[in-house]
Amino acid sequence: MTSRGTVFKETMLGRVRMADEDGDRPVRLDLLARADAVLLPHRTTAAQLTGRIRIAGRADDAEAVGELEISPLARRRIHYRIAFTMEGRRLTLDGWKSVSPRRPLTSMTVLPYTLYEDGHRVGEGTLRFPLTTGLLPFLASFRFPRAAESRADRHLASRWDGAPGRTEVWYTTVTDPVTDSGIWLHHEVVAPSDGSPAYAHGWAAVFPKDGPAEHARFGPVPWAGHPEGFSAGDISAGSGRLAGSAGSFTWALTERGEGPPLHTFPGWSWRRPWLPASHMLPAVRARYSGTVRHGTDELRLDGAPGAGARIYGHGNARRWAWLHADLGGGDVLEIVAAVSMRRGLDRLQPLVFLRLYRNGRTWPRRAERSAVGWAGIGRFRADIGLPEWRVKGRAGLSRIAVTVTQPPEQTLTLDYTDPDGSAAVCRNTERADAVVTLERWWGTWRREAGWRLSGTAHAEVGDR
Amino acid sequence: MTLRSTAALKGLVAALLADDGTTAWTRSVPRRVETLLDTMPAPARTAVRGAAAAVDAYAVVRTGRRLSALGPAERERVVASLASRRALLPLLEAVKVPLLLAAGTERSLHHSPTPEAPAPDDPPLDCTPSREWPTRSSADAVVVGSGAGGAMAARTLARAGLRVVVLEEGEHHTTASFGRRAPLDRFTDLYRDGGATIALGTPPLVLPVGRAVGGTTLVNSGTCYRTPAHVRTRWLDRHGFAAAEDLEAHLDDVERTLRVAPQPLEVLGDNGLLALSGAKELGWTAAPLRRNAPGCKGSCQCVVGCPTGAKQSVQLSVLPEACAAGARIVTGAHVRRILVDGDRPGGPRAAGVVVRRPDGSELEILSPLVVVAAGALHTPPLLRRSGLGGHPRLGRNLSVHPATSVAGRFSRHVTSWKGVLQSVGVEHLREDGILIEATAAPPGMSSFVLPGVGRELRRELEETEHLATLGAMIADRPSGRVLGQNRTLLRYDLAPCDADRLLRAQRAMGRLLFAAGAEEVLTGVPQAPRARTPAQLEAVLDTVTARHLHVSAFHPTGTAAGGADPERSPADPDGRLRGVHGVLIGDGSVLPSCPEVNPQLSIMAAALAVAERYTAGTS
Repeated sequence: MTSRGTVFKETMLGRVRMADEDGDRPVRLDLLARADAVLLPHRTTAAQLTGRIRIAGRADDAEAVGELEISPLARRRIHYRIAFTMEGRRLTLDGWKSVSPRRPLTSMTVLPYTLYEDGHRVGEGTLRFPLTTGLLPFLASFRFPRAAESRADRHLASRWDGAPGRTEVWYTTVTDPVTDSGIWLHHEVVAPSDGSPAYAHGWAAVFPKDGPAEHARFGPVPWAGHPEGFSAGDISAGSGRLAGSAGSFTWALTERGEGPPLHTFPGWSWRRPWLPASHMLPAVRARYSGTVRHGTDELRLDGAPGAGARIYGHGNARRWAWLHADLGGGDVLEIVAAVSMRRGLDRLQPLVFLRLYRNGRTWPRRAERSAVGWAGIGRFRADIGLPEWRVKGRAGLSRIAVTVTQPPEQTLTLDYTDPDGSAAVCRNTERADAVVTLERWWGTWRREAGWRLSGTAHAEVGDR
Repeated sequence: MTLRSTAALKGLVAALLADDGTTAWTRSVPRRVETLLDTMPAPARTAVRGAAAAVDAYAVVRTGRRLSALGPAERERVVASLASRRALLPLLEAVKVPLLLAAGTERSLHHSPTPEAPAPDDPPLDCTPSREWPTRSSADAVVVGSGAGGAMAARTLARAGLRVVVLEEGEHHTTASFGRRAPLDRFTDLYRDGGATIALGTPPLVLPVGRAVGGTTLVNSGTCYRTPAHVRTRWLDRHGFAAAEDLEAHLDDVERTLRVAPQPLEVLGDNGLLALSGAKELGWTAAPLRRNAPGCKGSCQCVVGCPTGAKQSVQLSVLPEACAAGARIVTGAHVRRILVDGDRPGGPRAAGVVVRRPDGSELEILSPLVVVAAGALHTPPLLRRSGLGGHPRLGRNLSVHPATSVAGRFSRHVTSWKGVLQSVGVEHLREDGILIEATAAPPGMSSFVLPGVGRELRRELEETEHLATLGAMIADRPSGRVLGQNRTLLRYDLAPCDADRLLRAQRAMGRLLFAAGAEEVLTGVPQAPRARTPAQLEAVLDTVTARHLHVSAFHPTGTAAGGADPERSPADPDGRLRGVHGVLIGDGSVLPSCPEVNPQLSIMAAALAVAERYTAGTS
């Protein structure tokens, strides 16, 4: 689903004959149409209209509002409904262009309409789109802006469809800027490959600035499903709230997403699970407030930066590395580099999915670009190791180099279990260092931006 | 029209009517024929003109001069020579139909001009000509057609609170306007194609349908039969047409609305009384028909619009009630196609209609519900040109009630056109699917074609006051088909068993007339036109097959039948067109099979049921 909308301006001129008059009057309509979807001619697109309507000598309302149904092929109709005020009376203009393949130009430009007041007809007329003077401004006015932030909630609902051999994860990583501690809350549903009932489990971990990481597991408990996210016993994650307790850990956090969703893997792989797994962030950044207690310590968060993420797939990779780096100023770098467990694919170099969300745009534009390049040529490279791993690559006129360092003393090693029962080991820290360098080609490579994160990057490396 | 073709037509009229210049009325017949031809569809017009030219050419070959240049005696010889060739008889018969229509009108105008009677005021209707209707409008429901079915659907939907717009291709004619004009002038206005709708087949049949606010109910005979119980059982059990479940209650409702009652004997007229006496003589069941004409004055003009306002056609009964409930009627509105939104969730959905005005411009009405009630002959083409004609059975299953007629000559004046047009039903053979009805018509408008040409025809014309006419219709197999998209093309091949029944009906009507005291029976068959005794009639009809008969039909039904089987029925048991949401079939097309009686009540009850089921389903 595209996240872009459509905005355009349209001006039409014509005449109206009011029921209480003999002659007719000139009319001018200046409209701004906004749709939540990209205007595709073979589809039906609904748009909101605002603008100005002028009936010579009788009405000049700059606050006309209405709706537009644009369906030139599917319904062969472009339907305008505009409410406006004339001499204190509230009138509605209702009319449509009836698109005909035999008369494409006329039928796309002529708008016969009827005026109503309280459902009674009070006038009618015809408006025309002036091709000679109006076409260029009309075409030049088209914009396809990103739609307003979509609700993150819709990505929180469980994806698992009951099939065996699936795993689904809701996880959250946070950096507390006050204490420089890291927090990791992991909620997982595993549907074993042998068809036995799905179970929910997970853990909570804290990475203090000084001293080793602590964690506590919860579950497994039978998975009963939940419409709005993860819920098992007293532990829940979803709809802007995270709460639960495990061992000596107790947490209660509110989550406030900022920014649009970010698909680390191609967006289609989230909607259609054809890849071994898919990873995405319901919101590119999030702010967390609340408390996390572990043992006798308590972290009080107030708008702490972090992110929630979602994974759905068949299990863990053979080898992988993950980075979430809040670069500040609303910019985020998300990387997953992985080698698949699938036969054949397991012999390949790690596929790198790198998403740099910067100034409201995501680079590279397509997630496939960094992973497969142009049929393998130009794909991004990852050198996975510990304590340091690297990713670099070039797309378009920009290239990036990322170096992640996971301090061994603050890295938590945990065992993962795949749906098929095989085990993997992950080494995770929410106190990683990262150096990110972005360069641009200006005849020579010039440094465009650089970030150095010290203890605030969230990273993980896994293998078997 | 060229001068040459006009001269040919003039000559032909003079020859066929043996115009010797002694009477005034024959002189104006050619002009009347020309006017009539102008209203007919181009193929019929061309055929008549072509026939006239062919006869003219024959005269030139035979005499060296054109018909119009010949004297009466020579003309008579030419047409007698033509008529002696049996192969040419059907051609002459076809030409005679419009000619007799014009001649009958002219003769009656000269002999007994219709006195202009004061007409009552019609109940008010909210009619707007399409030229005054806005180019863009919307409604909750659009009803295509204002005939029996459309009116009933409109009333039901309007009473349910929907904003209803009824679209009618014809114009609105008031009772007062009928009183002011000669029957033939009204005839050309009230019928589609000037009444010359022809179904191709063997034999070809004439299938006139009305076109005006009120549809065919404006020009039907007013006979109101309830749907027979066995037909209703068949619709329910064999076809699964669920809309017939409450048929009895719906028929009661319709009968109340139309004020249906048996026709009193006082105004029946001699034609009907003779039928009654004949039936009594033979011991056959017969009775005055139940009609929707309280206070009928026996004007015998039902087929051209009742001039006294007695006949409760739907524009006097149902449509005023619909308009009182808020429905609006747009006249002169030819529906080009139904708009369909193909991308609606759940499948395609009707979105409104495109209407063509008489001046060629178009208007559109958006509506989520479209009731198609354009008549069984025009509903299938409308659906086809809207892209909704995908069902293989759409347009098939056409039943028409083929009808034939017989006249009896009596020694005394019968003057069949004084009295009720369709007065008496003889139900002796009804179980065999044959319904005999005493049916007269204004001069020339009867479906009975007088025999002979030249002096013989002229003599018959001068003596029409002595003729009584009967008609019989048979409950036919669905042997017809409506083809075409922009123009309706009809095909009807009479089933062999129906052909036998038509001949049986012919014999039965002959017997009835003899029993009533007829001196001579005119069969209407050019090859065997007369019989003076019952035995002679049997002998004469032994030589006749159904191909020789003049067959007309008045009751097309079944072309978008409703039923449970999706393979056989284009509409579902509730009368909703399959394959699209929001299209109801609300006319005779939805009837699953032949109703076996005059279908007005059946169509209205079915349309009522279809509309009620829709409103019940949505509320």
